[in-house]
Amino acid sequence: MWVEKYRPKKIEEMIGNEDCRNVACLWLKKWKPGGKAMLLMGPPGTGKTTLATLLAKQFGMNIVELNASDTRTKDKLDKKIGEAIRTVNLFGERSLIFLDEVDGLLGRSDYGGVEFIKEAVKLTQNPIIMAANDQDADEIKKLGSVCVALTFKPPPPREVEVYLRRIARLEKAEVSDEDIVAFVTSAGGDLRHAINSLQSGNTIASGGFKDKSSAVGDAFEAFFDSADPAAALVALRSVSLPPIEKVRELYRCLVRSSLPPEKLSDALEVLSRADMLMGKIMKNQEWRLLRYLDNLLAQELLPIIRGQNVRYATDDLPFSTLLRIWNDSKKVKEISLRYARRSHTSGSGARSQDLPFLFSLCGAKGFREQLEKTLDLDETFEKFLQKEAGR
Amino acid sequence: MKILLGAWFTLPRLGTASFSSLMKQGVEYDRALGFKMGAGTDVGAALRTLRSALGEDVELNLRCVVCGVEACPGCSYSSFCDRSKVSPICLCAEHSSGIDAFEVYQKTFAATMVG
Repeated sequence: MWVEKYRPKKIEEMIGNEDCRNVACLWLKKWKPGGKAMLLMGPPGTGKTTLATLLAKQFGMNIVELNASDTRTKDKLDKKIGEAIRTVNLFGERSLIFLDEVDGLLGRSDYGGVEFIKEAVKLTQNPIIMAANDQDADEIKKLGSVCVALTFKPPPPREVEVYLRRIARLEKAEVSDEDIVAFVTSAGGDLRHAINSLQSGNTIASGGFKDKSSAVGDAFEAFFDSADPAAALVALRSVSLPPIEKVRELYRCLVRSSLPPEKLSDALEVLSRADMLMGKIMKNQEWRLLRYLDNLLAQELLPIIRGQNVRYATDDLPFSTLLRIWNDSKKVKEISLRYARRSHTSGSGARSQDLPFLFSLCGAKGFREQLEKTLDLDETFEKFLQKEAGR
Repeated sequence: MKILLGAWFTLPRLGTASFSSLMKQGVEYDRALGFKMGAGTDVGAALRTLRSALGEDVELNLRCVVCGVEACPGCSYSSFCDRSKVSPICLCAEHSSGIDAFEVYQKTFAATMVG
């Protein structure tokens, strides 16, 4: 993932919000117990979390990070970060407390989280940085008035362009000016989006520009052959595909493999969790969670499929298989519609809930014939139902 | 009227209400230097206040981080870029076109960085 690969490692490697970055550095340099907390406000993907992480790194501090929308009650917050807020370590070194997404916390005053934050800001022995997406919420404005508040904005398109050109140059990707402009304008200031577009555009070989650095198939093969999760992680990170495509490709490889059913079930369970993670990322624009995707796959999927001869499948399903799926799905649709009419239910409900049971009952003596008669099915369905009963 | 974001500019007397609004919207004021829209300014609101008080259109310009001049003239994104909603510092045509544009940007920012 280029987003991870080119994640800034120093504050000066970020783009946009130059004033905010300078003010934040100055604030942390001068901070003393009793000093104000800092509130970073702005839309997702503008660098709030990155800045907090890099500030801690650059000033040699430990970072104590908490997503406030996951932990909302006063007791839980106190349990998790209370000690870190009130104390310094044995050597007198301070930690940087980072509360992400505090706007999620402020919506529920009855949980006591707001009170906790107000107290923490007054009593803290360590600098606190808070981040919020919704800067227009009244409570965020109130919180901003007692903090050093900085508003993060998307970087200007020209800076995004310069950043994309740098990545393209380092990746040795041949990209036209028109493509770069298209990526910049479609991203609307979201740098992660722009980088992902550049990377995914880069993997589309037809007509556009080609990725010279790594072949997708080789990277997946390296993943399947990995001896341990660390090697698997490296292999997955070298797959030049958008994350959702990565999950889909793995699904394609798994369903075409000859994994035993129980192994396949476990592997698909892991993929399902990866897919849910991607869903959460896309829905809430929580791109910081993306760092867990490769780890999840390397740590949990690899042990299941290791040594099972899973290979990267480039070809589509054989035509005979496709034809059977197509014909069977037509029959399933027809049976479910007839069943739905008889049972006053919906076609999709019949397909997902009732038909699996009916098909398995077709093995019982006389049931299939009765079903064919009730649903007025002709002889073309006989073979299909026999096959389904035998599964 | 043209305003360069992050740079000082002067205004005619606007009256107490408009001045007060600008201060609330985070516009910085210095008796000797004038006004400045910086990191803490609600640029969109300040722009509305200025347009209403001056009775004329106010054009915003981003400043080039490297040379400090107006970055917007001749920019291919000018029709797409909402200058009141993006971060106020950019790169001019000259400093965004070189092969090492990002490295120059990075060095310039590092030189001004505190800490």
